[in-house]
Amino acid sequence: MENTRNTQQLLTAREAGLVGCSVCGRVHPATASVCLRCGAAISSRDPHSLQKVWAWLTAGIITFIPANTYPMLVTETLGSETRSTLIGGVLELMHHGSFGIAAIVFFASIVIPGSKFIAIAYLALGIGRPQRLSTHRRHQIYELVEFVGRWSMIDVFVVAILTALVQLGSAASIHPGIAAVSFALSVVFTMLAAQSFDPRLVWDADKDTHA
Amino acid sequence: MTPNDFPQMEITPEKRSMWRNLSYVWLVPVFALIVSLGVAWQSYLGRGVLITIEFENAAGITPKDTTIRFHDIVIGTVEEVSFTSDMAKVIVSARIDKTVAATLNPETLFWVVRPEVSARGVSGLSTVLSGVYVDSAWVPIENSEARAFVGAAQTPLIQPGLEGTRISIRTKDGSSLTAGAPVFFRGIEVGQLDTPVLSDTGDSTTVEAFINAPYDKFLTTDSRFWNMSGFSVSLGPSGLSLNVASLGALLTGGVAFDNVVSGGDPVTDSTVFSLFESETTARESVFTQLSENSVTMAVIFAESVRGLNAGALVEYRGLRVGQVSSIGAFIDRGTGQNAVRLRALLKIDPQTLGLAADADQATTIAFLESLVEDGMRAKLATTSLFSAALKIELTDTVGEEAARIGPDANGTPVIPSIPSELPDFTATAEGVLKRINNLPIEDVLNQAVSLMASIEAIASAKGMLEAPDAALGLISEMRSLIGKDDTQAIPTELRGLVGELRGIVTDLRAQGAVDQLISALGNLDAASANIATASGDLPALIADLRAIAAKANDLKAEELLEAVTRVMDSANALLLTDGMKSIPPALASALDEVQAALRDLRDGGAIENTNAALASAREAADAVAKAAADLPDVTGQLNALVAKADKLIATYGAKSTFNTETLDLLRELQKTAKAVAQLAQTIERNPNSLIIGR
Repeated sequence: MENTRNTQQLLTAREAGLVGCSVCGRVHPATASVCLRCGAAISSRDPHSLQKVWAWLTAGIITFIPANTYPMLVTETLGSETRSTLIGGVLELMHHGSFGIAAIVFFASIVIPGSKFIAIAYLALGIGRPQRLSTHRRHQIYELVEFVGRWSMIDVFVVAILTALVQLGSAASIHPGIAAVSFALSVVFTMLAAQSFDPRLVWDADKDTHA
Repeated sequence: MTPNDFPQMEITPEKRSMWRNLSYVWLVPVFALIVSLGVAWQSYLGRGVLITIEFENAAGITPKDTTIRFHDIVIGTVEEVSFTSDMAKVIVSARIDKTVAATLNPETLFWVVRPEVSARGVSGLSTVLSGVYVDSAWVPIENSEARAFVGAAQTPLIQPGLEGTRISIRTKDGSSLTAGAPVFFRGIEVGQLDTPVLSDTGDSTTVEAFINAPYDKFLTTDSRFWNMSGFSVSLGPSGLSLNVASLGALLTGGVAFDNVVSGGDPVTDSTVFSLFESETTARESVFTQLSENSVTMAVIFAESVRGLNAGALVEYRGLRVGQVSSIGAFIDRGTGQNAVRLRALLKIDPQTLGLAADADQATTIAFLESLVEDGMRAKLATTSLFSAALKIELTDTVGEEAARIGPDANGTPVIPSIPSELPDFTATAEGVLKRINNLPIEDVLNQAVSLMASIEAIASAKGMLEAPDAALGLISEMRSLIGKDDTQAIPTELRGLVGELRGIVTDLRAQGAVDQLISALGNLDAASANIATASGDLPALIADLRAIAAKANDLKAEELLEAVTRVMDSANALLLTDGMKSIPPALASALDEVQAALRDLRDGGAIENTNAALASAREAADAVAKAAADLPDVTGQLNALVAKADKLIATYGAKSTFNTETLDLLRELQKTAKAVAQLAQTIERNPNSLIIGR
């Protein structure tokens, strides 16, 4: 990271006529198409990366809509059925004064997935266009999105655990709603979108800008 | 390191079309979109139809939570609760399942199910935990467009969609009719009543009743409904009767129906029945209902018709043949003076007279005419012993003046009447009272008083008072007789006699101990044996004497007293006869005589005789003792004259005067004892003989 401040001296592999294996990391000449060590396909840039990103992202956003509009939890207590959506749950928590928990739920369920969409979209849009943020900053955003992705399933885990625990027959029982599946799918699609993104494109764009 | 040191990479621009270049990954969002849209569309489709229900209040209704149910299946959810524009009522908006909403009848009933406790039980308990819900009932129709409804304030008792017949029951008094009360048919609950509604004019109450299928087929136009509220007690000519309905009916009331006569037509919805007070009236109503072709007749009475009302019975030989339709007065000028007559109009049912049900008026009148010619007359009669109500009786009379049915001033045929024997119940009661009044009660009482007085006089008469004293004297004398020393001395004296005899024997034995006179001893033994033989009777005699004494002792004063009491009783009985006043002196004298008899008995010396006998027995014993005392001398002489001893002893032996006399004495003693015993027995058997003298 000590290079972040002197991007001017940066030399990409591509500029050096080399290509690195994205699986094992071995460096090959630019002409190589198969990794000599691990046998993975090598390409300097993934030609479909952006397409895939957009596709996964779209799917993620689409599934995020029912995740918010449909009930996440269906609670049956003594014959009465309560359906709570994500936002509804947050509002209810606030109503009961649990602002901390409400904040956590709101942050984990709404803010983070939303930010991920924005971040990925921003990164993808930034390819091939002049950007205000430096390439290094954008790369950091990418790393962050990748890192956060694996923690986004907290809501789904909570629903899964509650569903498994609270099955007390007619007294009280909890079932997952449509939103739980949608939310899980949304998280998976977002992660796949982040995965599909080829961060090397960021550098290319940067190169182009500075070239 | 310059870029130029590396071979240039061939970068071929992407010329391929955008579509060909498209990644398969794009299928994922497309699929996701399709699925999402599908779900959304499904939700939209299943969103249901918004309906509004108007309620008085919305107690317990929670938007998004309260469900709408039909046959206990959830068909929708309340979305919103708001007010009507005039704020008077509550509008509950609810989303109902689309397919269900299409069948909603404009008459659909919605009501809120809440926990309810009533005389008929507890309902809606489940809503305590789950909260209220809106229940509904309707008869499904097709392609319904009805979306606004008015909710019922309470659970409707008769829910639409049930199979059965809805009828109306009209009654004057709705006090015993409560909503939900059961309708019985022969004791089985076959339906229930709705809320009673007062008619617009306020003079009657109408209650709708729903008879469940299949029981509604028992309903006919001839069905009679009667009140079955709780229990009824009636006292009639047939006695006391108590009718108790079911416990539920006891609390909430109820009505019952039955087909009193057969052959009614099936009823349709909204047939109106009238409610009778009791089963009896309901059953009797069949007879009070006159057929349409009944004949109007008139009866004219000269006497008071108080107690005769419109609707009163007309009976012929005890059978109801019609009823009085009206009563009025008119002035009869026919007799020259303006007499007020009372006219009762009767309706007579030809069917009850045995004529054809559709007999025309002329036939009926002709039939009545023939009856009148045979002596039938109308008269007033009381309906029952305890009622002042009157009825008109058509009775067959004998020997009445011939009469015919003739038209009166209005042309109504008139049945001739005769005066009634019992014009008025009150008059009868008065007569009874008058009779009671005329009873010579005071005379009877006076006589009773004087009777009592004379009885008292008899009882307090001197002789009467003395009678018990005399009896007591008698008893005490008896006692003194028994307790007399002489009487009691008898056993002692006898014992003394025996002792003395025994002393003699001992002496004799002592004397017989002389060794030298062993040979004479045998004779002496024989003599002793004789004496022993003679004395062998003694124990029996003594026993007899003891028995006498015991019997004399056992003469119980109580028995005597009882006997005296009996005598007293008979004496008391004698009081009832004439000349009884002379009895006490006679009784006293009789007692005196008895006393005298007793005195004689005592003076007569029965006991003295015995005593004397005993005394003589003692004397005899003394003699024996004396003789025995002489024995030593004799034996002394015998010592000297052994030879003569045999002879002496021989004479002393079997035929000695001593022996004979002793035996005679003892025999007499025995006889005396027997006589005393007989006397005692006689007294014992018949103590009265002591008093009466026989």
